[in-house]
Amino acid sequence: MWKKEDIKSQGLPENSPGNPTAVPVLVGNAPRETGTGLPASSKGSASISQGIRIKGEVTGSEDLFVDGQVDGKVNLSNGCLTVGPNGEVKADIFAREVIVRGRVDGKIVGREKIQLWSTGNVAGDLQTERLTIEDGAVLRGRVEIETGKPVDKHTEARGAAAGTSKGGPVSVSSGSAAD
Amino acid sequence: MSFLNKLGIGVGAGAGAAHGAPRAMGSSGRPRTNGPVPVAAVGAARAPEPHEANRISNGLKEFLWNLDGLGRGTLLDLGPAWQTTLSFFIERGFRVSSEDILRAWKDFLVEEEGKLREATGRAAQHTLDVSPAARAMRFLEANLQYPNSSFDAILLWDLLDYLEPLVAKQMVANLTELLRPGGVVFAMFHSKKPEGFQRYRVVDPTTLQVISSPVLCPAQRVYQNREIQDLFSRYRTVKSFVGRDQLRESLFIK
Repeated sequence: MWKKEDIKSQGLPENSPGNPTAVPVLVGNAPRETGTGLPASSKGSASISQGIRIKGEVTGSEDLFVDGQVDGKVNLSNGCLTVGPNGEVKADIFAREVIVRGRVDGKIVGREKIQLWSTGNVAGDLQTERLTIEDGAVLRGRVEIETGKPVDKHTEARGAAAGTSKGGPVSVSSGSAAD
Repeated sequence: MSFLNKLGIGVGAGAGAAHGAPRAMGSSGRPRTNGPVPVAAVGAARAPEPHEANRISNGLKEFLWNLDGLGRGTLLDLGPAWQTTLSFFIERGFRVSSEDILRAWKDFLVEEEGKLREATGRAAQHTLDVSPAARAMRFLEANLQYPNSSFDAILLWDLLDYLEPLVAKQMVANLTELLRPGGVVFAMFHSKKPEGFQRYRVVDPTTLQVISSPVLCPAQRVYQNREIQDLFSRYRTVKSFVGRDQLRESLFIK
């Protein structure tokens, strides 16, 4: 579980004057509904709410929803990181799955999957097995698709929920030339 | 009207009183639309409904032919990060880098305008050099920062038509450095000032999807064949395909 103690153990400053981090980290349930009416997270997860800024390394093994600001490094070995529509992450991200609906400035390693929603804006390299990019998402960086697993090409239909049109999100796992 | 709009490069200045986008035509000359004919983007104030149409692309076909057998190549896509385009090349073993240059250019202009306003407020215009050359340098210092000879292929689309000529010229020079010897650039040029604003994505090895979009930047100029050759004078091979939809597709091999 991603806990407040995890942050302490990483040596993050708490409420230090003059430090914008002032880490009043909210550890509780993430908002289940967001401005777009879409679920922010599939299950109760820790959240860094809008207005909160953390500077340093965030480590954990469960899901995390970030709608505030994080500067440094995010490492969720087995969890899913969701950067909400108001979230701004200036950090390298390592997680099982990463969903970007806000801004990320840094490298993203999503072991199983990375999703860029239409409001997502990423400046940094992406490394994953499966990548989903919704129309309107902005990406500035290199895409590395992991080739560890056999080629498995399939199409996802998240269009109904995301309101995308034809040519919307298609998820592709790729290893070698498909043709 | 903003300063940049007065210069004719402001964000959101319409590309002209456009009504009716060109039909997407195949090389055969017959309309190859998939759904309704796209409606033109007429200035930023009237964002059009996104319309999509397919066009046969001999340029893309030739581009892929040149990259055939490359193995694990590297591609720089200077258009928007479309899932279909990225997947198309990733499936073929490419490592793809994506950078939406026109969006970056628009953001840059907005930022420049803010800086200019700030400088004017302080009565210190001389602190910001607004000459096209200085602006080109500032833009390129913040974009396309990759090591030399990083890419085997570059998808340039039609973005040169929308950049200031000096930026376009310097950008082509920079891209030439980023391309490996033998590398290929796929570019498109409008034969007349484009009536709308369109983005492109790859559907299959011979088809591009043309998507009418809200105007990001107004078109800056129409390049004649001679000017295109001058821009790409360091390339050993130039191949062009002229479509009936006023769009020329060109391949440049370094």
